[in-house]
Amino acid sequence: MSPDLAMVIAAVALPFVVAALTPVVFRVLGEGTGFVGTVVALTSFGLLATQYGSAGTVGLEWVPSLDLALRFYVDGWALLFAMLACGIGALIFAYSPAYMHGESGLVRYYAALLAFMGSIVGVALAADLIAMFLFWELTSLASFVLIGYYTADDSSQYAARMAMLITVGGGLFLLVGLLLLSLVASDVLGPDAAFNLAAMLESPETMQTALRERGLFLPVLGLLAIGAGTKSAQVPLHFWLPNAMAAPTPVSAFLHSATMVKVGVYFIGRVRPMLVSTEWLFLFATLGLTTMTVCAIMAVASTDIKELLAYSTASHLGLMVAGFGFTSVYGAETGVFHLLNHALFKAALFLVAGIIAHEAGTREIDELSGLRHDLPVTAVITVIVALSMAGIPPFNGFYSKELLFEAAVEASQHHDIGLLGWLYPAVAVFGSIFTVLYSLRFLSLFFGERPEALGHVHRPPVTLLVPPAVLALLAAVVSVDPQLAVDAIVQSGLEATAVDPHEMHVGLPTSYSPALGMSAVTIGVGLVAYPSYGRLHDAIRSIPRTVPPIEANWWYDTAVDGLSGEGRVFAETVHDGTLRTYATWTLTATCTLALAGFVAAGAIAPTELGVEVSLAIALVLLVAVIGGVAVATAESHIAGVLTLSILGFMVAIFYILASAPDLALTQLVVETLVLVIFLLVIEEIPERYEVEIGTVARDAVLSVLVGATAFVTVLVTTGTRPDGSSEIARAYAEQAIPRGGGANIVNVTLVDFRGFDTLGELAVIALAAISILTLIVMRDRDGDRTATHDGDELTGDDSAGTSSDGGDDE
Amino acid sequence: MTATPAGTASTLVIAPMLVVLVAAAGTLLLGRHPRARTAVSLAGGAGYAIAVAAIDWYIVLGPDAPGIATYQVGDLPAPFGITLVADGLSAFMLTMVAILGIASLVFSTRHLPGGEGRSYYFPLFHFLALGVTGAFLTGDLFNLFVWFEVMLMASYVFVAYSGGPQHTRAAFWYVTLNLLASAVFLLGVGGIYATTGTLNMADLAQRLAEPAAYGLEPVPVVGLLGLLLSVFAIKAGLVPFQFWIPTAYRAAPPQITALLAGATKKVGIYAIIRLSFTIFAGAEVAVDLPLPLVDVAITGDSPLPFVGAALFVMAAGSILLGGIGAVGRDSMEGVFAYSSIGQVGFIAIPVAIATTAAGPELRTFAIIAALVYALNHTLAKGLLFLAVGTVRSATGTSRFADLGGLAKRSPPLALAVFVGSLALVGIPPLSGFFGKFLVFDAAARAGSGPVLVLLLVGSLLTIAYATRLWNRSFWGARTDAVEAATVDPVQVAILVGLAVAIIAVGVGFEPVYEFAETAAEAALDTEGYVDAVDPQTASELAGSNGGGH
Repeated sequence: MSPDLAMVIAAVALPFVVAALTPVVFRVLGEGTGFVGTVVALTSFGLLATQYGSAGTVGLEWVPSLDLALRFYVDGWALLFAMLACGIGALIFAYSPAYMHGESGLVRYYAALLAFMGSIVGVALAADLIAMFLFWELTSLASFVLIGYYTADDSSQYAARMAMLITVGGGLFLLVGLLLLSLVASDVLGPDAAFNLAAMLESPETMQTALRERGLFLPVLGLLAIGAGTKSAQVPLHFWLPNAMAAPTPVSAFLHSATMVKVGVYFIGRVRPMLVSTEWLFLFATLGLTTMTVCAIMAVASTDIKELLAYSTASHLGLMVAGFGFTSVYGAETGVFHLLNHALFKAALFLVAGIIAHEAGTREIDELSGLRHDLPVTAVITVIVALSMAGIPPFNGFYSKELLFEAAVEASQHHDIGLLGWLYPAVAVFGSIFTVLYSLRFLSLFFGERPEALGHVHRPPVTLLVPPAVLALLAAVVSVDPQLAVDAIVQSGLEATAVDPHEMHVGLPTSYSPALGMSAVTIGVGLVAYPSYGRLHDAIRSIPRTVPPIEANWWYDTAVDGLSGEGRVFAETVHDGTLRTYATWTLTATCTLALAGFVAAGAIAPTELGVEVSLAIALVLLVAVIGGVAVATAESHIAGVLTLSILGFMVAIFYILASAPDLALTQLVVETLVLVIFLLVIEEIPERYEVEIGTVARDAVLSVLVGATAFVTVLVTTGTRPDGSSEIARAYAEQAIPRGGGANIVNVTLVDFRGFDTLGELAVIALAAISILTLIVMRDRDGDRTATHDGDELTGDDSAGTSSDGGDDE
Repeated sequence: MTATPAGTASTLVIAPMLVVLVAAAGTLLLGRHPRARTAVSLAGGAGYAIAVAAIDWYIVLGPDAPGIATYQVGDLPAPFGITLVADGLSAFMLTMVAILGIASLVFSTRHLPGGEGRSYYFPLFHFLALGVTGAFLTGDLFNLFVWFEVMLMASYVFVAYSGGPQHTRAAFWYVTLNLLASAVFLLGVGGIYATTGTLNMADLAQRLAEPAAYGLEPVPVVGLLGLLLSVFAIKAGLVPFQFWIPTAYRAAPPQITALLAGATKKVGIYAIIRLSFTIFAGAEVAVDLPLPLVDVAITGDSPLPFVGAALFVMAAGSILLGGIGAVGRDSMEGVFAYSSIGQVGFIAIPVAIATTAAGPELRTFAIIAALVYALNHTLAKGLLFLAVGTVRSATGTSRFADLGGLAKRSPPLALAVFVGSLALVGIPPLSGFFGKFLVFDAAARAGSGPVLVLLLVGSLLTIAYATRLWNRSFWGARTDAVEAATVDPVQVAILVGLAVAIIAVGVGFEPVYEFAETAAEAALDTEGYVDAVDPQTASELAGSNGGGH
């Protein structure tokens, strides 16, 4: 059965449409908008359920020229993830109205949550690399808005920006990986398949071989791993996830445990058949087990219940990544089954944490104990899901953890991976011990003595209790009959992610296996070590205090703060506020470009000079050169300006000698005006500048360079045309009278042949006049200016230096 | 003009310039009548938009469109007179400028710097548009210089407009560096005329392609192109020609800065693409420049590899300087000014890739990438600079120290800025995503690892400064200035309109891509360009004598 396009599109689009309408809905229903969200989630869930059992690709065109389409792919893996998002989404929306009661900004909250859910469904179903990337980025965006929900709160802002930097930044790496993948796909599968993920997954071996032939296998693997690793909080880029607990708790339950963070895991499972290999094993098994262990240790060190759960989430994501990393079928079973199990118990645990925070008014682990008296139903829920998290049989988390152990053992038995062969199982056990420890610690919140300091704890309203209860119930069902979940959905998810899927069977072990032994060790050591939890907790906490760089947060802060600070210093060093510096760079670069161009084309040495130099011209030019040197060394401004006019008048004489009397006249007028204006302005300029000798030397070199560039340019361009005048010039001479009706060729050119240039230059003259008027008029309007620009805003930031030191480079 | 089938199309080519010229003159004459002045100004804007739309449809995109049309000013055939040319590339750039220009113009009527008294604001505005339009349409190298001057003078006044010492200083730096560029431009154009005997760009292209037939020695043109490249780099603000940008962008009224970043910057990019590809790509000059320090040699049969190497270096510098600089700024426009330096690097990278592309397919693709990125930058940065204007006119400040909590103060304003910032970052399905996607794809297709790394670093910096700006001004505790703010609804409506455009370009990207593809193909179609301009010889000129008089 192939999927129905309308149903699939509707399931993806519905949350977005309602998200766009949220302002209207909220105006009508107020805080009841949450229940509309539940209805939307359940509708999408229902729409997806109608596709249960179907498989195949459907799609809409988007950008045909680039072969981009909104292709959707339906199979067990896609449906599992999409329906999980909708199902848990429905519970979160039902939980929200009571939890978020009285908060402001709920329109934004619900709109982002809906868009977020739609994006997850989109990622799950997308069969086009770019469509997938679209939804992928939208989840990051929704996450940014939701983590920053408490906009005035510094930690929210900090965490939101961090999540954005890490996940969107990781997204960029993913994009590059996808582009490389698409290049290869369009080569081997045809241009139509450039972004068609479904087509690539149909020929996984072809793709992997082609990637390897082009030397792109490792780059693609690495880039996709960075993308998925940032999203799914893998070490060392895991740290945004614990910080993201600044979000409201329902958001944490939804985004940062059950769904968004699983997008990376989901994607790893999705491309697994195409890229699975020994390199894949090394990369993801190592990455996943490291994350699992490090984050479990960090969870033990946590002081806040949400922090504990956040680190635990990262740890379990590591478990799923490691599962998919192991190339055997057990690996895929681990990944798929744990995705489901973790969603059930972790969403429930976050909702429990929300109830505790809401009713007890604190999230500090040390301040909480004995809650079973006040929150009996919550306590029952917690027992089920916390033991599931710990991996204690017969709870559902046990089955998928057992599969991880099996996969690790299988890897050491069947792959020649040396030291890693025993390291993988050992680390898996080691990490799992910490999981047992922090799970028990969370459970202990409900047991033991109720501390005196804990104030009155309210009974939670039913709407807060029902969602976690539903999740716990589901977890219990899976615990009692895991094969039911396997047959319903896990098996079909396995078929999409495993290379050689088989009939999957799970249940309580009936005979000894290495995996069972590992489970026994894990639970046994965990129970034995639990009494020392406090000392362990303190010991782990003391490490970052002595060695700050061991914390990923430290690196982030150093990099981001350093970037702001250094960026400022860097920009102000480059833009130091002196025109002399700016002109030096500009002119040096210009001369370099020109001279390099002449050298590159071999134009630097002309064979002969096009003109002969008479003695008179040589003398005039010599005087001009002496004048030039004199300007630069003049004692005073007056002397400088006067010597400058020597140079100008020599140029005029040169024009006369070169038979251009009109130019000579113009030059004389300009020269006279310049002299007069300079003499008027000099009054206003300080008499002397103190210029360092180094600056003088630099300016001298620069002057010579600029002069040489202009000289070379003129030399090489005029030396190449022996005949002197161009065809156009000759035509102008012939046509001046018949076409222009004038005997003066210069006049005819200016007003007729090239009159359009003159029009533009007239505009320039008009503008020059306007500029003078404007500068005078605006100078008198100080009042207006201070109204719109506060006085110092232009001096405080960029223009660090004092006023320019003369602008004498021109 | 003799009646030809292309007659209407030909007249259309000059239409946008005439419209803005009339608007400039009209608003100048109506200086003392604010209402009439505003009305004429808006009518000019509308007329300009219509003229550009007509060029788009009747010359480039319509079913019977010729693809390219020329207007020979004074009915003097090329290369003797001045030729205006409208093709896909010109039309694409004009369309970009028209959209932003209208937004900025309407914005200006709501927030006129310097108050409502006698003001030269609108004439200057239209003169600026005249310069930009002329630069996009001219087919003559010296005429290009003229329009550069018009642009420069008009924008100079705007930088100095607010009249404070800091504005005067920014304007002084701006005009000094740009006048240096003008002198260099003149030197380059003079050199080209001396070397090839023509200023007409089509004529130049055909002469460079067959120098022997015209008795030319084209070797010097590579160095001359280097000179011109530095001039265009100043306009585009590529490192190390960017020095004027931070202060000038902050000094000019924000709605004008929107145009400086969105329009005049693109003139520099346009000129680089037009000259490098349409005109100089076919030049029969071999280049060979060994660079022993980095152990590479720039070699090739045309000047393109030389242009490409220069652009790579400048683009890399721009991306890094702009990105790193932007992260540390302490005002909105400071961030956006540095961001503009960085973003133009992202536009220059695909242009550089196009110069070194192995085949025509990749070359076209890379230019499409550059154009789409440029379009996004115009829309997004235009929106963001206009938003600076809105924030300033509402709160009296745009410094982070005085801002905070704007998001709750004006959600529509916040939403528009959010969309604009995300477009800079390149989040799908906004226009910015396709810019980024195509640029990354071009680099991937070119197989250039270092370029991909550079692009990644630049994009990470973009996220860093965009999020920082957002947190500092739109989130956080509401400050006194924000508390007392009155946000103008029309200004916000303009911002929202641009945000909608950014989304629409991304969601409905297919037609935009096709337009950009047409533009890129036009940029590479030297033969079509030369045929359309149809340069004559002197004897043909003599033969047709008297036709127009």
